[in-house]
Amino acid sequence: MKTVLVVDDSRIMRNIVKNTFTSMNIPCQFVEAGNGKEAFQQLESQQIDLVLLDWNMPELSGLDLLKTIRSKEKYKALPVIMVTSEAARYNVIEALKNGATDYIIKPVNEKNFREKISKINF
Amino acid sequence: MEKYIQPFIDVCVSVFKDFIGAELVTGRPYFVDKNDPHEWDISAVIGLTGEARGAVVISMKRELSLKLTNALTGTEHKDLDDEVVDAIGEIINIIAGNAKRGLEESFRLVISLPTIVRGKGHTIMWPNEQARIICIPFKIFETETFCLSVAIDSSSGV
Repeated sequence: MKTVLVVDDSRIMRNIVKNTFTSMNIPCQFVEAGNGKEAFQQLESQQIDLVLLDWNMPELSGLDLLKTIRSKEKYKALPVIMVTSEAARYNVIEALKNGATDYIIKPVNEKNFREKISKINF
Repeated sequence: MEKYIQPFIDVCVSVFKDFIGAELVTGRPYFVDKNDPHEWDISAVIGLTGEARGAVVISMKRELSLKLTNALTGTEHKDLDDEVVDAIGEIINIIAGNAKRGLEESFRLVISLPTIVRGKGHTIMWPNEQARIICIPFKIFETETFCLSVAIDSSSGV
């Protein structure tokens, strides 16, 4: 079974993201992290198949984690979708330039998720 | 400064509809002084930096914060616990992040992590002395109210 890493400093948002993902009936399991630092530890300790990554978090931001991930050869192909309230186009461009696979603006909805996930053949 | 308010109004209405499933009625915005007394029990604050400086704050009574948290979690909350703090913080985070889109033609902003202030008559430490604070009142769930306060000074960006 594939594993999705949900990274957000809001536990409520992590649950909403998981519930939205679950509603698409894609068999998977979830692991969670409350900041970029915890997320990187999760990444290094197990097989992760998809990262859903918030931007604004304490300790290590989502953008900084994204840069770290893309700097490592073993994670070059790992799908990382930003799931964030940062809606300005310059933010979207910055994330995509730094290797984000795609970008979802909060609040999340199932239709948006379905479109993005279908693109990565998860 | 007033021209920067409309994106916050538009985003607030759409975020409450999409995130909470609640319709808002927007009241007439008015200027407030940071020392004005208020009736709110909880506020969530996001600082704004970048090409302008300021803050956006959502303030409400305890009962409304519990209702909003209940709506987001599907569980009943009776106290201003960590989950209420999480919920109100995430609401202001989504409002501020989405409002950046409507302001991007004017300036690029960086938003801070949300800070929550609780208690009767609590005080908000507004980050900028120059910017005037505009309060946008909203009505929700027919009888309840909350306030979105915005202060932006575009002359002091760093």
